[in-house]
Amino acid sequence: MNDLLHTLRVEWLKLKYYRTFWVLLIIITACIPAFNYVIYDITDNSFPKINGQNILGNPFSFPHVWLTVPFNSGLLMFIPAILIITLFTNEYSYRTHRQNVIDGWSRWRFIRIKMIEVFLLNLFVTGIVVLTCLCFGFITKTPVQSKPGWDQYRFILFFYVEILDYSLIAVLIAMLIKRAGLALGVFFLYMIIEQFVVSLCRNKFKQEWVDYLPQEVSDRLIPQPFARRILAPGNYALWEKHIPLYLSIAALYIIIYILFISWRFRKSDL
Amino acid sequence: MQDVSFDVPEGAVFGILGPNGSGKTTLLGIVMDVLIASAGTYTWFGNPPSENQRREIGTLLETPNFYHYLSAQHNLEIAALIKHKPVDDIERVLKLVRLYERKDSKFQTYSLGMKQRLAIASCLLGDPAVLVFDEPTNGLDPSGIAEIRQLIIDLAAGGKTIILASHLLAEVEKVCTHVAILQQGLLIKSGDVLSTLNQESWLELGSADMAGLKEILDHLPQVKNIVRAGNHFQVYFSERIPEPEWINRHCFEHHIVLNFLQVMKRSLESVFIELTHNVSN
Repeated sequence: MNDLLHTLRVEWLKLKYYRTFWVLLIIITACIPAFNYVIYDITDNSFPKINGQNILGNPFSFPHVWLTVPFNSGLLMFIPAILIITLFTNEYSYRTHRQNVIDGWSRWRFIRIKMIEVFLLNLFVTGIVVLTCLCFGFITKTPVQSKPGWDQYRFILFFYVEILDYSLIAVLIAMLIKRAGLALGVFFLYMIIEQFVVSLCRNKFKQEWVDYLPQEVSDRLIPQPFARRILAPGNYALWEKHIPLYLSIAALYIIIYILFISWRFRKSDL
Repeated sequence: MQDVSFDVPEGAVFGILGPNGSGKTTLLGIVMDVLIASAGTYTWFGNPPSENQRREIGTLLETPNFYHYLSAQHNLEIAALIKHKPVDDIERVLKLVRLYERKDSKFQTYSLGMKQRLAIASCLLGDPAVLVFDEPTNGLDPSGIAEIRQLIIDLAAGGKTIILASHLLAEVEKVCTHVAILQQGLLIKSGDVLSTLNQESWLELGSADMAGLKEILDHLPQVKNIVRAGNHFQVYFSERIPEPEWINRHCFEHHIVLNFLQVMKRSLESVFIELTHNVSN
């Protein structure tokens, strides 16, 4: 444990005085509630009301907020990915990944602490999402329909799995490309291409395997919350049935990324 | 690299010589675990390599690698923590390389020479017993080069083992006790400087009476060859050259007064070119 804390202290020194890190962290912290507020404003004012009730229901009130906020925040996944790509490619462009090993870290120690950094950063982002849920839940002041339980809270866990999945794709791309600009470009291109493939194959050719592609499978953990009243209840039942499968495949991807990233860093020239 | 094998004796200043692209940095990269060798083994301090051992070695490999957005002080704090060395030592090493006054400046504001000096300061953290320097005088001005050379001599005098890779022969000639010569990934020769480089020596003698001087020299049994070069002779010996004091006295006792006496040594450059040329051919 002391050893891990010692290694974390070194990582903290790298981040503590890095302005870009703090700026991006502030952007993440500000964007999650701000973006959710924009969506809240649209849902509140742009949809017709029947008997004083919004046609979409109260997606920002308890318990629905536990699904709505993680879903909206999932659209901002690219911001933590930018930070992660920047932090990783910095090590390559300054060649400090090499120097850390020369100075006395094993390759495993270096890559392990980077993974822990990604896990902790994602915990922080998930924490912001939880706070945002609580804020919106209390602000909307709608009466609590039922006592919140695992059905609601599980979306926080799913959000963590989703962001971890995106972050590890970012780490993988940063590691293979090594240059910040190019890595960011490839990351965004990958996001767009996968979504394009999913849309094309799913809707045009009725191919179901695309549901299990790396991003898509983690996206599917958090279903679109605004159409609950519009979509047939059967669709939600089907989604509910698939959760264990989506979760298992997303977790499998995460394990594969971690194993490949560790293997690659330990076995290649630095 | 192929079949490169040698030992570095404790306390030696071990020069790794070779032209650009000969494999000096690759060799050091392998033993510092940043490059993966397809075959072969190495040991540090007689034991298989590990991260703990690397912490006891101060290494400057190729370029100074630091976080550009951090100051010298913070960069060295990171290095000290990784090496498990006291952070208090930073002041000493920064003063040693004359960067203490700029300790709070960001690395990206440093000149190339300052960056190189900071890298050397990082190597010296915790006073390690072994130092590995790859082209340590890169980017330094003449006074900087002289300073680093003196620092290496002082460190060696203090009992440190120093491994120094360089293509600057004068640098190696001035400080090294042992050498290994590489070319195209092959080890040409290694060992102590005297036996490995076999730098031939000779005397250059001149006198107003060149004919008389020639006659005396002809009678010396250890003289191998005498060559006239302008107004002096180049005198080659079959064994070690005699002491200049002895030859001066010997000539004077035979009524020849020397007006020129100089001990000459074949340059490391010519020895190096000959060795590497042979391998190329």
